[in-house]
Amino acid sequence: MTTDQPTAAASADQTASAERVLSEVAAILRDVIGEEYVVDMSIEMDTSFNEDLELESIEFVTFADRLRETYGEHVDFVGFLSEMDVDQVINMKVGEVVDFIVDSAHDAAPSAAR
Amino acid sequence: MAEIVANGVRLHVQRLEPKGGAGPDSPVVVMVHGMVVDNISSFYFALGNCLAGAGCDVICYDLRGHGRSERTPTGYTMADSLADLSALLDALGVDRPVHIVGNSYGATLTLAFGLANPGRVASLTLVEPPFLIEGLGEEMARSLTQVLAAVTDDEVEFWLANSAGRAVTRIARSAQALLKETSVAEDMLATPPFSREALAALPMPVLAVYGANSEIIDQAEGLAELVPDCTLVVLEQTTHMVLREAADYLRDLLRWWLFQRDEPIPHHQVRGAGFDTPVWVREMIPPPDLNGEHRTASLSAAAGSPADA
Repeated sequence: MTTDQPTAAASADQTASAERVLSEVAAILRDVIGEEYVVDMSIEMDTSFNEDLELESIEFVTFADRLRETYGEHVDFVGFLSEMDVDQVINMKVGEVVDFIVDSAHDAAPSAAR
Repeated sequence: MAEIVANGVRLHVQRLEPKGGAGPDSPVVVMVHGMVVDNISSFYFALGNCLAGAGCDVICYDLRGHGRSERTPTGYTMADSLADLSALLDALGVDRPVHIVGNSYGATLTLAFGLANPGRVASLTLVEPPFLIEGLGEEMARSLTQVLAAVTDDEVEFWLANSAGRAVTRIARSAQALLKETSVAEDMLATPPFSREALAALPMPVLAVYGANSEIIDQAEGLAELVPDCTLVVLEQTTHMVLREAADYLRDLLRWWLFQRDEPIPHHQVRGAGFDTPVWVREMIPPPDLNGEHRTASLSAAAGSPADA
């Protein structure tokens, strides 16, 4: 391997940012769904949009729109969604979206991770 | 920019652009979904993000009364829908000719928009358009009656109330509200017939896509014969739900249509065809004699018995 091994500090940093992004994403999801059953529901990395949240496909459209507003240009949701079909999207777990956001932020500011 | 007021109606719009934004030469592609049990999400996932990723400036929206757009009590005639789309393009400041992609009734609407606004349209892609010269309104009303019967059936209602998933229930409730609380059914019945003369003079290129197993496949030839510059694609083993069943191929087809039309048209490969489906099933001919020696041979092969001399 010729790539740099991440330092312990950088890796801890990324874990912290994944936790922060997960809580932001969970808050957006609760808001988009807007029904009582999600208020007390625990939304974790392995929560499924389809089976656990029963998200309607148009709610995912709104969710992606809200993510775009929150995370801005450097998180390329168009690119993320462009090779998936609707079943693949809706069968994702929340963690896959969180990881994509964390990795995009990481790539946008590589020096911060070193 | 999720909401735009156009023609006095609040419309839900998603504008999708390539990374770094669309350029002045990016094709502008507008997507028009189907009626009653459809919304913005079908095109958003099947083609919207993909074509934006390929360099297009994509506009997806919910038709009046559908998805997240305002459900007005009236205003669902063909003329209203065309006025909504014109006003939406004005509100978004789109002044270049656009490529419009429509599905099902949205495709019929797309064709009508091309006839009414030839100067605003660069090309039309019609996925499974109901297309009749005579009786189009009756055809639309008939299919809406079927939908209404399905969503108001007692057994369906019991299922929705008790065991259907949340997402399915919400889609059905939205269709029920549209059909019961608005004039959409009467407005559809009043859909005017297409004019043969106007169709024969349609100036822009048209790409028409039908499923070979669609219940409206017999309307495809009529369309292809009347429209002067029409490329007709019929997809084997596909029904009216082309957008759902052949999304991968439609992505290739639209990239070809928008960016590489001087190259050969992409080939539609049916997954698994000719591999595990017997010819007599695919061709719908009577099966071979199942009691013949063919079956005996395969049975003994399956049992692993040594070949008799």
